[in-house]
Amino acid sequence: MALSNANLVCQSGRITGLLGANGSGKSTMSKIIAGVYSADAGEIRYNGKPVKYRNPNEARKDGIAMVFQNLSLVADLTVWQNIVLGSEEKKGMFLNNRAAMDLSREIVYQLLPGLDIRKMVHELNPGEMQIVEIAKAISENPKLLILDEPTAALEQAQVKSLFTTMHALVKKGVAIVFTSHRLWEVMEICDDVVVFRNGENVGSIDFTKDVKDLEKIIGYITGETQKAKVEKAHDTVTDEIVLSIKNLNYGNFLKNVSFELKKGEILGIGGLAGQGQHELMLALAGNYPGVTCDAELNGKKVKLNKPANAIQNSILLVPGDRQLEGLFLKHSVFTNLIFPKLGLKRQPLLTPQKKYRKECEQVIDVLSIVTHNLDMPVNSLSGGNQQKVVVGKWLSFDTNVLLLADPAKGVDVGAKRDLYEYIVKQVKEKRMSVILYASDNEELVEYCDRLMIMYEGQIVATLEGKEINDDKIVATSMRVS
Amino acid sequence: MSRLMSIRDNAAFTIINRYKKLIIAFLLILFLFVLGEITVETFFSLGQILLTLKLASFIALFGLCQMVVIAAGGSGLDLSVGYTATITAVFTAAIMDGQNANLWMAVFVALGLGVAIGLANGVLTAYFKLPPLVVTLAMANILQGVINVYTAGKNITGRPSPVLQIIAAKSTGIFPNIVFILIIVTPIVMIIMYKTKLGLKLFGSGSNETAAYLSGVNVKMVRCTAFIFSGTLASLIGLLLIGNMGIAFKDMGSNYVMPSIAAVVVGGVSLTGGDGNYVGVILGSIFLQTLTNLLVALGWGDAGKWTGFGIVLFALLIVYLSSRHRR
Amino acid sequence: MSRVNKKRKPAEDSALRGLISNPDFSRLLILIVMFALTAVLQKNFFALKSIVRNINSFTPLILLTMGQAVVIISGGLDLSVGSALSLLTCVLTSVMREGMPITGAYALVLTFAVAMVIGVINGIGIGYFRIPPVIVTFATSFIWLGIALFLRPTPGGETVDWFQAFYKIGNIENAPASLKAFGDIVPPALILVLIGCVLWWAISRTRTGRYIYAVGSNSESAYETGINTAWVQMQACMINSVFIFLAALFFVGQNGSGDARMGDPLTLKAIAAAVVGGIALTGGRGSVYFALVGALIFSFVSKIIFFANIPNAYQTLFGGVIVIIAIAGSQIYTLSSRRAMEESKLT
Repeated sequence: MALSNANLVCQSGRITGLLGANGSGKSTMSKIIAGVYSADAGEIRYNGKPVKYRNPNEARKDGIAMVFQNLSLVADLTVWQNIVLGSEEKKGMFLNNRAAMDLSREIVYQLLPGLDIRKMVHELNPGEMQIVEIAKAISENPKLLILDEPTAALEQAQVKSLFTTMHALVKKGVAIVFTSHRLWEVMEICDDVVVFRNGENVGSIDFTKDVKDLEKIIGYITGETQKAKVEKAHDTVTDEIVLSIKNLNYGNFLKNVSFELKKGEILGIGGLAGQGQHELMLALAGNYPGVTCDAELNGKKVKLNKPANAIQNSILLVPGDRQLEGLFLKHSVFTNLIFPKLGLKRQPLLTPQKKYRKECEQVIDVLSIVTHNLDMPVNSLSGGNQQKVVVGKWLSFDTNVLLLADPAKGVDVGAKRDLYEYIVKQVKEKRMSVILYASDNEELVEYCDRLMIMYEGQIVATLEGKEINDDKIVATSMRVS
Repeated sequence: MSRLMSIRDNAAFTIINRYKKLIIAFLLILFLFVLGEITVETFFSLGQILLTLKLASFIALFGLCQMVVIAAGGSGLDLSVGYTATITAVFTAAIMDGQNANLWMAVFVALGLGVAIGLANGVLTAYFKLPPLVVTLAMANILQGVINVYTAGKNITGRPSPVLQIIAAKSTGIFPNIVFILIIVTPIVMIIMYKTKLGLKLFGSGSNETAAYLSGVNVKMVRCTAFIFSGTLASLIGLLLIGNMGIAFKDMGSNYVMPSIAAVVVGGVSLTGGDGNYVGVILGSIFLQTLTNLLVALGWGDAGKWTGFGIVLFALLIVYLSSRHRR
Repeated sequence: MSRVNKKRKPAEDSALRGLISNPDFSRLLILIVMFALTAVLQKNFFALKSIVRNINSFTPLILLTMGQAVVIISGGLDLSVGSALSLLTCVLTSVMREGMPITGAYALVLTFAVAMVIGVINGIGIGYFRIPPVIVTFATSFIWLGIALFLRPTPGGETVDWFQAFYKIGNIENAPASLKAFGDIVPPALILVLIGCVLWWAISRTRTGRYIYAVGSNSESAYETGINTAWVQMQACMINSVFIFLAALFFVGQNGSGDARMGDPLTLKAIAAAVVGGIALTGGRGSVYFALVGALIFSFVSKIIFFANIPNAYQTLFGGVIVIIAIAGSQIYTLSSRRAMEESKLT
């Protein structure tokens, strides 16, 4: 349920900001307007007329343009060719490249003077690519422009240019919908702000009329009712350090990450989406051969350059994207559950069917996996149960460190509870240590003993005890405090 | 949310799907036989069926080579199986020279050739990341070249050892011996595929490379091994080919490449990997051989055979592989 | 999304290094080297007769490579070019009747139509049904072979006299002397290649030309921009057919007969030559003109092997080895530059 009873009003000549935590529904809202998704119920009125778009092209023809987070550029064409792609002008039989280049040059100059429009897109850095995407949307002279987190990849100077362009557009009467995780950007550029939480519109402020109240906005985002902080039993956390990571670097994604994981602790990783949390989990699991770091497990040095290494050391990963990284969708529950066993040394040639089946049945029991039998293909299970399978395959392993990359993403409440119950139990009974990354701050608040906040590939803060609450997390993530 | 719904819908289908493709393959075979009986008399006779089975067995064995390579994923395909078999046949013909004495040496040479060729294919595709299509096609060319050099100006001499002839060409009673080989091989293959860690690693690599890697599987090694297997098996089939034909000639194996891939497609085995139902491949082989016989019986000759093959394969590809709905 | 701050600096170190690391320049360099080597090995290389003979022997591969390049750029691959070529030669020689010049014209029209149908069928498989191009063109290659065998079970057929204009005008009895002289200096093969180049030049300036690159580079993005990717890929296949058609004209002009198997060895060579010329097998990259360069390099290397007195028997062998080396070299080059690019991109 991405959106329910959501509503939004945008006026021409104004910039409306959409705010909300991960998964609050603001992105979905944008996509519905742009025609990427269709709403199940409700009405969209554009220029006073009700509309229902089946694909982005229809919306585009009506003058609604959207700039996506996922770049939809063609890498092997030049900047100007991308900007006019799909709407090229012709001179007789041939393309009018001159006109295309002139148009592109003009738009790009407003956004990023100095960007050579003859460069190939694959030569650009991500910030420049984002600018080209924006230029492409603007080139169609839209009446409603939706910018979905356009500043995520931009540098300060580029953001300023973007804002200048946005002001110029607004003067011409264009309506802009703008989403960003950076509160200060929204405060600066938007005329009014709408806050989403849990798929609903929970509050809005008109900056042209009211005061820009930061506290109020944060309140809307996190939910005004402060949940009483549950004091977790800290008796499971020992002082023994089970995993020590120093100076972990990986390309441009992770920079000098250092931390220590205590035995019996649940260490969380939080922050805005896409700040390197996913990459950190994969790096710890040995997925990147190019990663450099000093890692010690229980005092012994370990190398994290191959998943097989990590597995041998019982550093086990429950991947974030279960369908892409964690499951063999066409294959049976049984196959998926026993798969990691195959990598262990000294395994018999013929898989001991009886023994493994028994173990699998235990797993299904412990985690309450709902499935007709062991031989059902895993893609017939619900999301929650699929996730349980992903966790379940490590059950029979003696885990040193369990890496959980957003284990409850897209999982229903019941399965979520089952999963976390099991994990907490393991921590209590077997002194298992856990590194937990969750995109939902609630999970972090409820389960973590300590919480590291990541921003642009670095750990910028570590919260402990009472500091682990929603407001503080949001504020630290958005770098407001 | 909508994603969950479509996954649930698929659930019911997937179970039926597993057997659906086998059932369809079987029905297609029946259909051909009926068609044959109608258009050409005595098509559906015991003798015909046994002959079909015998010839289909060769296709099925080559199909096994393909199936393993394809199952390992990464757009795997082995277009060099034909010439691998041929080169083995050509070389071992001279070694055996009609005697049983040198049979073991012949087998040894065959294994050596097969492993070498498979290793070359495997390293180039898995470790150098060259496209399997081009690599194995080029390899086929190279092998063809080697055969040309070897046979330059002279005829290919040598005959297979009698033992080989018995296995490959003769029958026990009415039942062709090679079919026995297939019957023995099939359960072994199925067990290895579905019940050993080797088979599971293979499927994992083909089904989801990332998940397999994250579970500790060395995907590159698995894929390289698949090619080594394919090359070795193709080489051994070369021995059977010469056993069947009595002599070796330059085009012995190349006519089997296309049918071997077609058999995999007809058998419903996914071309992207992760799948390996050998029974399907066998049914596919029988289907193709029956189709060939039918086309020949209709008197359309070579032209009809290839056109028929091409059209049928094209149609089946549309049915099995079309991804129109993805958007 | 992780933010990336790395800026890409061009190779400013030295102009020379920049030039050498530019793949196109390297290719031209290799071409010049091969050209020189051949000139050294082949006697009378610069004699008019030799030049003409060389052009004639290179032309088929050049045409097929250029056509293949277009398909590969659009994101496809065509394994059926060899048998398509064979089929077209068979169609030509089956329609023409010796002594009836008008049948030549009929043959041209009909064969062109067949070429277009071939392109459409391949295009439907690749573009509309989105079957992996490798497999679908593998299948269609047998359809073309079968039909070709039906028309010409053994090589043969008839041609009309003026058809030799596609090969050597001098062979036509009634041609005016001036035309013959012209044909001796500018071989028709060259004109065919020129036609191909002009054709591509024109297309590359239209939407189709641009979209072929877009679809090959990122068909999802192209689709989202409203481009009809199926139609674009079909057009690429049809353009390929035109090149194959031109090659067929040359062959029939030269040999006067159609042969159902003549094209087989050329398929792999065309693909390899395209890769050597810088066409990325993943699509979206490369220049058709450089595919021509690739075909030239390939042809010169073959000539070098020939003149180095390597026995005939070894030539197929060497052919295959060259292909692997050529592709390996190009792939390694492409992979290393692509990897560097991807590592700095957003996930």
